[in-house]
Amino acid sequence: MASKERTEELIKGLQEAVLSMDEEAAVEYSNAVLSEGVDAYYAVMNGLAKAMDKVGQLYDSQEYFVPELLLCSDALYAGLEVLKPHIKAADAQAKGQVVIGVVEGDIHDIGKNLVKIMFEAAGWTVYDLGRDVQLARFAEEQQRTKSDLVALSALMTTSMLALPQAIKLIKARDPKVAVMVGGAPVTRDIAKSYGADGYADNAGQVVQEAVRVLSEVKKASK
Amino acid sequence: MKASLDRVKAMLAGQKVDRVPLYHFVLGFCAKNVGYPIASMYNDPEKSFKAQLWTFEQYGIDGGPDFGYASYGGWEFGGDIKFPSGEWEQAPSHGSFAVQSEEDIKKLRLPDVKKDGMLPMAMEFSKLQDKHGTPISIVLGSSFTIAGNICPVEKVCRWMVRKPELVHQLLRAATDHILEVMEYWAETFGAERVIPNIWEPLSSNQIISPKQFKEFVLPYLKESSEKISAMGVRHIYYHICGEQNLNLPYWAQVPMGDLGMVSVGHEVDIATAIQYFGDRCIIIGNVNPVVIQNGTPQEVYQLSQQAIEQGKKAPRGFMLMSGCEIPPMSPPHNVYMMTKAVNDFGWYD
Repeated sequence: MASKERTEELIKGLQEAVLSMDEEAAVEYSNAVLSEGVDAYYAVMNGLAKAMDKVGQLYDSQEYFVPELLLCSDALYAGLEVLKPHIKAADAQAKGQVVIGVVEGDIHDIGKNLVKIMFEAAGWTVYDLGRDVQLARFAEEQQRTKSDLVALSALMTTSMLALPQAIKLIKARDPKVAVMVGGAPVTRDIAKSYGADGYADNAGQVVQEAVRVLSEVKKASK
Repeated sequence: MKASLDRVKAMLAGQKVDRVPLYHFVLGFCAKNVGYPIASMYNDPEKSFKAQLWTFEQYGIDGGPDFGYASYGGWEFGGDIKFPSGEWEQAPSHGSFAVQSEEDIKKLRLPDVKKDGMLPMAMEFSKLQDKHGTPISIVLGSSFTIAGNICPVEKVCRWMVRKPELVHQLLRAATDHILEVMEYWAETFGAERVIPNIWEPLSSNQIISPKQFKEFVLPYLKESSEKISAMGVRHIYYHICGEQNLNLPYWAQVPMGDLGMVSVGHEVDIATAIQYFGDRCIIIGNVNPVVIQNGTPQEVYQLSQQAIEQGKKAPRGFMLMSGCEIPPMSPPHNVYMMTKAVNDFGWYD
């Protein structure tokens, strides 16, 4: 069992590995976490996930850009691969479930992939439908997985016109499901006018917004 | 139509003009306007030319028709392209990419500019431009955008940090290709008559940092611009697409001909564009396309008025345009509002 100081050292090491995009260090520190008896869930949440939260902030403030965010996430996933099998069942409860995808007519999926990374880093289960997704599939997948949230992405001005239709299809099946939208042409006002419950300017803000949206939707349905 | 084109030609020649020209980048909207499929704007040069010519006359647009799309380079280097067909599709998009691995880079060959991808159609289109006396243009991405069309963007992003030499190899191929295309167009029509339209969406700060722009984008922009100008090309049109404010100090170092032409998205203020490029370029822009599609006619009119009033201060001239392509599904009356705005506010004293 590692001492408190050593545990903190390992947690900082994990954070630093993610922030400095160092996959090897992420694996080394994760292995050390296991061999020295530190709780895997604690290490994931306070080391890897916390660092990724910081990465999101750095992206939001334009200190990190897409290349850095992708490489930080590579380090995150390298650490998760080592630690995840050792998380106790009681701790393995996901923070939330989200269905995600780029709407029909649009193949631009970088933004969606960044959002997926941020959800996974924060401990959510993500059902990724990919890109150019037929609108009915979002509602079907939400029903199949009983997810709390559906996150829709569009990069083109034409494909963003598919968003209100997708939202309608989801809400028709279950009005209590929360829907978030995003993508370069979308704004908070447009999201609202399309009937979405939430919107984030970029991937760095998405998890915080998702938590807010879910709590609002829960409050409203009580 | 001739009076309209003369207005643009006069501005390019550095002469005073009577009114701010309306210079649109409008493709799918033209197809819908005349009842053609959107795909025909990209795979049928004759229909594309006619649809634009008719729509330009209807809306009083002063520039000439163009032929191209942002995912240019993918098909030419050996990948696949899918033309728009579905209800929500706007422009050609990638099928597969020519480069998926390091090994693929070794196999990469420069396209045959007379035979490969969309270039035979682009040449046919330019011959129509020549026949009708409209400006002869060729639409290309810059080297960086072409690199991201040869190889998936996420891979390019990772390699920029991990294996920059691979990205430079892609950029070398893209730059050499741009120069070969330009040589072919210059030989066919005379360099001084050709205006390359170089679109650069991929280097926006929504994707890369200004530091990465300096390392991976700027050197190739400079090289291609210098070599294109050395061929005898007078004007190079750059579309600085998306959020590029942090990159502008570098863009300002890129030669763009005499006069150059710079169009900016709504993310870059017209006054800022004048500050960086106004002494040597015509400034073009920047009504937010989302407002053209989703906003009210009054909002489009107001944004157009603001752009015109700022743009009239540009020492080498200003043309009103949307910040990027006019969305195909835009309400026609919103598009008309830009025409109304140049007629109401665009006249020079």
